[in-house]
Amino acid sequence: MSAPPSEGDSLAAYFGYGEIGDSPAEQKLQDMKRRKTKRRLWMLAGLLATGLLFYASLRVIGFNLAELVGQLDQFYEALLEYFPPTTYFGIPFVDLGAYVSFMIEENLILTVEEGQIVWGAMFVTMAVAFAGTVLGLPLALFFGVMSSERVIPYPFNFVFRGTMSLIRAIPGLVWFLILIPLAGVTPFTGALAIMVDTTGYLGRLFTDELEEIEDGPIEGIRSTGANRSQIVSFGMLSQVFRQFIAWIAFDLEHNVRAAIGLGIIGAGGLGLELYIQRQTFNYTEMMACIILIFLLAASVELASQRVRSALRDDDDVETSGIIEAFANAPRNILASTMGRRGQ
Amino acid sequence: MSTLKVENLSKQYGDVTALEDVSFQIEDEFAVLLGESGAGKSTLLRCINGLTDPTEGSISLDDEPITGSQTEIGMIFQQHNLVDGVSAYLNALTGSLNRVSMLKSMLQWQSREDKLRALEALETVGLLDESHQRVSQMSGGQQQRVGIARALVQDPRLLLADEPVASLDPSSAETVMGYLRKAAKEHDVTALVSLHQVNIAAHFGDRFIGLRDGRKLFDVGRDELTPELIDDLYGSVETVGLADQEKTVEEALDAIGDDPSEGAAEDAQRGIEA
Repeated sequence: MSAPPSEGDSLAAYFGYGEIGDSPAEQKLQDMKRRKTKRRLWMLAGLLATGLLFYASLRVIGFNLAELVGQLDQFYEALLEYFPPTTYFGIPFVDLGAYVSFMIEENLILTVEEGQIVWGAMFVTMAVAFAGTVLGLPLALFFGVMSSERVIPYPFNFVFRGTMSLIRAIPGLVWFLILIPLAGVTPFTGALAIMVDTTGYLGRLFTDELEEIEDGPIEGIRSTGANRSQIVSFGMLSQVFRQFIAWIAFDLEHNVRAAIGLGIIGAGGLGLELYIQRQTFNYTEMMACIILIFLLAASVELASQRVRSALRDDDDVETSGIIEAFANAPRNILASTMGRRGQ
Repeated sequence: MSTLKVENLSKQYGDVTALEDVSFQIEDEFAVLLGESGAGKSTLLRCINGLTDPTEGSISLDDEPITGSQTEIGMIFQQHNLVDGVSAYLNALTGSLNRVSMLKSMLQWQSREDKLRALEALETVGLLDESHQRVSQMSGGQQQRVGIARALVQDPRLLLADEPVASLDPSSAETVMGYLRKAAKEHDVTALVSLHQVNIAAHFGDRFIGLRDGRKLFDVGRDELTPELIDDLYGSVETVGLADQEKTVEEALDAIGDDPSEGAAEDAQRGIEA
């Protein structure tokens, strides 16, 4: 198509603005060349615009390659702090003892003082997630059941459906910010944010599960002469009881990850500890927090998946291996914090 | 001991007439309802049970008219209609729902009597040892027996079954029908069972009511059920069980060779089982 110019008026012909030929085929060829020229012009304009925006962005963020090179030594030092080197039996390795001693010193896990257990940051995170889940559970159940068309007739069920959609439209992170006037920048507010989030998400999962139930058992219970609420609980809810438990396990897993994220913006626990250590540039301590966060997120995920696959008859729960759970932890923590479900 | 009386029953769904002027009376019997698919068997049972309202006519149990879903009537469904995810015991116990309040039933605070009744009903159908198992882990025949147990726990005066063995293999079908018959006898209830398999019907029934196109075609006792009546009911179908009963296995197998349709194969198998 893009044959080099070979005749007199070649340049104009090459761009499709030369003499229009006689035969329809020649005319079409010119037409196509013209189109190609237009495409190229658009492409050029796009490249120019991208280049300009990129340059402007670099100016705004203060990009400085020289500074980056100058700071390399410092980054190397920071790396040595992130992963403090030591030798075990003459073999160089990361000094795990440094992490552990910080975890103990700052009571990240738990300590026993005078026979009393002092819960550490990790358990604060767990507590935020667990309390939030349990608080949100009755609300999720109420909204979930009321949203089902089989319980509340259309269009009234949409009052409950709409409320849940509204809740889901706002990420847990933002719910925390919104609720700060209620209980301060505290783990309590974190749990409240998770409660609201659970109402929207778990309720929706409940509704979806209720859509799939069969009519047979409902009729079966009706034929025994049961009253209306008994038909709902025995004919409908008992069909999905195990699935509900499985979804609760899934939601708890999600909420633990969300609680880590909420911690970074002030809801306490491991997230807050990580934030404090970052502010003081204690890289070893930061890494100790990150390791604990990974451990917590991955083990909660593994536990929840095992529970769910035991509850489900059909093996439709994907169970990930231990390494996979760790590898997915950072992405899932972010997804949960921002209100999107991890996989 | 109870009497079911159906008088001039008609049911129309829009323009379609499902039942037309059906009358009969059964008293302490194990009655079988025969007829082709679409003859009105299910509609009749659903009217008696109160799941559907008849257009005309009346139904009474011991001279009391039947209206709405009746607790005195136990229903056994073709697809058993149990709750899959919970145990056989809890499913049987749902038969007692009409006797307890919502809160008590939620907390499983049924009376000790009801709980024992549920287990005894499961014993009647031969599932006492399996009563803790989840229904979804049971075989089709066992599930249907749990369905019978649930109906028994209702302590009904009348037992209805809508093609209870239609989706079972011949051997499970015979077992389930055996338990159904036994349950009706032990609990002294009148039973009305719709069936497709003529040979099973002939083996277990005391009374036979034939429906064709929504009308009652015959209403006969055990001795009066003749192959001619069956022919009338189903048209001339060669592989209907009763006509084959005299055949030997070899003849039945020959019949498959002649006519390799599914019905023939199934029926030959039934002949072998019998």
